[in-house]
Amino acid sequence: MSKILDAKIPSGPLADKWDRHEMECPLVAPANRRKFTVIVVGTGLAGGGAAATLGELGYNVLNFCVQDTPRRAHSVAAQGGINASKNYQNDGDSVERLFYDTVKGGDYRSREANVYRLAQLSMGIIDQCVAMGVPFAREYGGTLANRSFGGVQVSRTFYARGQTGQQLLLGVYSALSRQIAAGTVKMFPRHEMLDLVIVDGKARGIVCRDLVTGEMKRYAADAVVLATGGYSPVFYLSTNAVNCSATSIWRAYKRGALFANPCYTQIHPTAIPQLGDYQSKLTLMSESLRNDGRMWVPKAPGDKRRPADIPEAERDYFLERRYPAFGNLVPRDIAARASKVECDAGKGVGNTGFAVYLDFADAIKRLGRDVVADRYGNLFTMYEEIIADDPYHTPMMIYPAPHYTMGGLWVDYNLESTIPGLFVAGEANFSDHGANRLGASALMQGCADGYFVVPRVVAGYLARGGLGKVTTDHEAFGAVEDEVRKRYDALLAVKGSRTVRDFHWDLGRVMWDKVGMSRDRAGLEQAIVRIRELREAFWHDVKVPGEAADFNKQLEMAGRVADFLELGELMAMDALAREESCGGHFRAEHHTPEGEARRDDENFMHVAAWEHKGDGQAPERHVEPLAYENIEVKTRSYK
Amino acid sequence: MSTFRSHVWSSVGKKMITGLTGLLLVGFVAVHLLGNLTLFIPDRGHAFNAYAYFLEHAVHGWLILAFEAGLLAVFGFHIVSAVTVAWTDKRKARPVGYALVRNAGGKSRKGLPSTSMIVTGLTLAVFVVLHVKMFKFADHPSVVYDGKEMKDLYAVVVAAFKQPLIAGLYVAVMGMLGFHLRHGFWSAFQSLGWNNDRAIVVLEGLARVVAVLFAAGFLALPLYILFFVDPSVSGGHR
Amino acid sequence: MSEMTIHLKIWRQARGAAKGNFETYTVEKVLPEMSFLETLDLLNEKLTRQGQQPVEFDSDCREGICGTCGLVIKGTAHGPNPKTTTCEVRMRHFRDGETITVEPFRAGPFPILKDLVVDRTAFDRIQQQGGFVSANTGSAPDGNAVPIPKIDADKAMDAASCIGCGACVAACPNASASLFVSAKISQLSYLPQGGPERGRRALLMIGQMDREGFGDCSNHGECEAVCPKEISIENIARMRREYFKGALGGHDRKAASGD
Repeated sequence: MSKILDAKIPSGPLADKWDRHEMECPLVAPANRRKFTVIVVGTGLAGGGAAATLGELGYNVLNFCVQDTPRRAHSVAAQGGINASKNYQNDGDSVERLFYDTVKGGDYRSREANVYRLAQLSMGIIDQCVAMGVPFAREYGGTLANRSFGGVQVSRTFYARGQTGQQLLLGVYSALSRQIAAGTVKMFPRHEMLDLVIVDGKARGIVCRDLVTGEMKRYAADAVVLATGGYSPVFYLSTNAVNCSATSIWRAYKRGALFANPCYTQIHPTAIPQLGDYQSKLTLMSESLRNDGRMWVPKAPGDKRRPADIPEAERDYFLERRYPAFGNLVPRDIAARASKVECDAGKGVGNTGFAVYLDFADAIKRLGRDVVADRYGNLFTMYEEIIADDPYHTPMMIYPAPHYTMGGLWVDYNLESTIPGLFVAGEANFSDHGANRLGASALMQGCADGYFVVPRVVAGYLARGGLGKVTTDHEAFGAVEDEVRKRYDALLAVKGSRTVRDFHWDLGRVMWDKVGMSRDRAGLEQAIVRIRELREAFWHDVKVPGEAADFNKQLEMAGRVADFLELGELMAMDALAREESCGGHFRAEHHTPEGEARRDDENFMHVAAWEHKGDGQAPERHVEPLAYENIEVKTRSYK
Repeated sequence: MSTFRSHVWSSVGKKMITGLTGLLLVGFVAVHLLGNLTLFIPDRGHAFNAYAYFLEHAVHGWLILAFEAGLLAVFGFHIVSAVTVAWTDKRKARPVGYALVRNAGGKSRKGLPSTSMIVTGLTLAVFVVLHVKMFKFADHPSVVYDGKEMKDLYAVVVAAFKQPLIAGLYVAVMGMLGFHLRHGFWSAFQSLGWNNDRAIVVLEGLARVVAVLFAAGFLALPLYILFFVDPSVSGGHR
Repeated sequence: MSEMTIHLKIWRQARGAAKGNFETYTVEKVLPEMSFLETLDLLNEKLTRQGQQPVEFDSDCREGICGTCGLVIKGTAHGPNPKTTTCEVRMRHFRDGETITVEPFRAGPFPILKDLVVDRTAFDRIQQQGGFVSANTGSAPDGNAVPIPKIDADKAMDAASCIGCGACVAACPNASASLFVSAKISQLSYLPQGGPERGRRALLMIGQMDREGFGDCSNHGECEAVCPKEISIENIARMRREYFKGALGGHDRKAASGD
């Protein structure tokens, strides 16, 4: 029976919900906090922020990450900035406006109450980060600097050169380091969570693999927080790090947590185009480049002249033409799709024809080379090293690339999944961005969840009581560990002929071609069949070298790819079921005469959350209706 | 374990000691060089011998004793801290070395002067011992000026530098002093924390100048004596 | 788009084994635009297909920001090009038929876990001693309450861009961690927020650096030359000043000794 999900949104006026909820959340007395153990998986802005803050409060925290140190969580790679409704620029920003922009940017598929809370918390994040020594960019007067980002008409993005994610993460890492020294947080680097342990219906622990020794380990706790990021590497080539995976959230899904909106993926418009099939990743060029860069293609299809030889009159600045109000700063989904439309019409540039220009000639003319270098120098250097071409003289070539996943585990207002005691934060949950995320909002969500929301809601959960003592000797731990062990032994036992990368690459091609920027019924149906075939082939023909009880990267990857091979199918099913176009989900069957996305609010203004029903069984689709009481639902327009 | 002593002998403390003693030694060497320059006066060593006599007898001989004690301490700290940094700590910190090492170039200051500090430094230390033995703890001829008997150290110098082998070795060692100062001079400021991106340009330039001036100043003497001084001629100069 | 053949002389060392050795492998069909790590991927695909053990190496973001990767390539940490991490090195910088020596970052405090993978948790332990501002969540004043001169913010950012890769240690003839430690100390010393703990921070972090067994800095400056983020050795000078002030300041010294 399909369920209607209850998000447990507090009653009362939107602006008061969080304050009232904080007041209503029961508390744990300081002396009792150390009696509670909380597992936090992930050390990015959400996970690390939550672990550090819970540690500060006095809880006993066990924090896990796959990286060799918490400072390398993938938040580190975010370039452009973090949004906050400070209105330091006096350009009309406010909590209301940030809330409105984010809901609109998400194409009216996000939860009002969550987004409003995010907008409210955004200001405290900046204050907190400044207090921790994050070196944000500043004006000569000593105040914080801002820049603009896509989809908004105010300057509310705080930044630290092109390394904002790194600086925010190092802030989190420093707070975490302090708690590790204080003994409140115990850190487990090079540990991969491979399954969730549920006792009496509540999340009570995890099973990990020590990535150095290969040993399987059990950890028990009173609550579990997953903050393991998104699943873009399901496309194989994405802007994500090579170790990003869906494994933690996918294992939780298979233990009963619902997976919401898996088809909502963000294809970022400005990445360095794919050059060949040897590639291991795509490199992002920050959205901030669109502040000063102009995107264009030749007007004539098949025009292979060098960019400098194409006169102004024969260039099509397609974003400026199609969206005069926002120009080059339209949201990511719009910009990415527009680029794809031009390339599909044969106007793409470069050897492959799958690239468009991002041109800084005007900006250099207007601002001078030094200013441009100051703003984007590190990105230009990166580009030059990869492409061996100088973007100060020749326009950059860019093409969309999988970047972020708005979908994730379903959580209620308390960031609690459908498994009691299992909280999900940051990109790993689905909660705040709807069908499309605006630039500089991922860092905002990670910090808000980590520093402010998780510590409060987890305390509320723990304070409500009813948690008996559970140790790792409990039979549930033994059973889960056995399953994990068998799965990994099975991977090694196949001893087939194709490598893990072969399968990952094939899956990525299917996902990109059929479940990528544009989707249609026939393609999605083919994708589902093809992914099932691939999965079948994987378990019969994969070749994983080495042993389980050793440092074994190929085995790690095999486990992750096995999960991607299941998740990919769910993404296609979700995309198939959502008979509308919204945000990053574009169904070729549903568009306006001008080619813009056409939503179906009547039938799809809801969150789709999938329930695992067992291997080989069809998952069940549940819905959480979305109500917009404070915002007028309109057709999204950036014209 | 956070006592003042542990701070003094920490990795940073040791470098500060090396730097500070290094700068003191630069001062000493500068004064020494000025004294040596009296050897260029064509008076058959009168000024030089008188200068040595003054040093030995000032404040009833206490001045030289105090200086020597101080110098000994400065040398001692400089050598011990530097050997710890560049030898013992270094071994411990990288027990297994690389099969292939290349200098990174670019902004790196690594080069023969910096990598040979321990060699040039220890060579200079050995030299100093021999030098002191030769001028302090050996029998010297004497000379009488205005009825006052003094050691004729000038004769010792000339006798030594008339031997091409000794003159050659001396020149080589003074070359090493130049190398040592080329890295050591600016490095001392860096070790003491008196440096930044703008100062380093000036300090490195100064290091070059100091290295050349000091090496040239010292090694000019044996060459001068070897080729231009005739001990048999009155006044010592051809 | 000319294909190259590359010979890789790679350090192999089983987990926990005392001894390692070099093995030479040949990789065909290497394209100039491939990254160095993609070439190693290609080698590992080949080794896996042939039933041999792939070469273990660390990498994650593959765009030069996470600091996970780190190899000594042809005798230089992060390879022959300045301002790049190992993952950013492209094969166009090598010749067809060339033999490239590949070694792990070598230092006593960076023990080898397997092949080219080293354990850099010593850096974390140094950071835990004081590489932070003790500001609990929720205790912060408005972000603009204390103006910070742009020049200081920029200097702090220069130092803060350290990615903790450990190349400075790998390249240092003495295996010193001074550049890494100084970057953090220096960053926080430029910002008013870092002020209250500055002396204590310097004493504690440097104390831990020494206990981990890193060597002492001889001002060779190799660290700055290989640093992918161009962290300047002026930070080391600044760190020494901070340390000096901390060691002289009785209050800070007491705090550092836990009295």
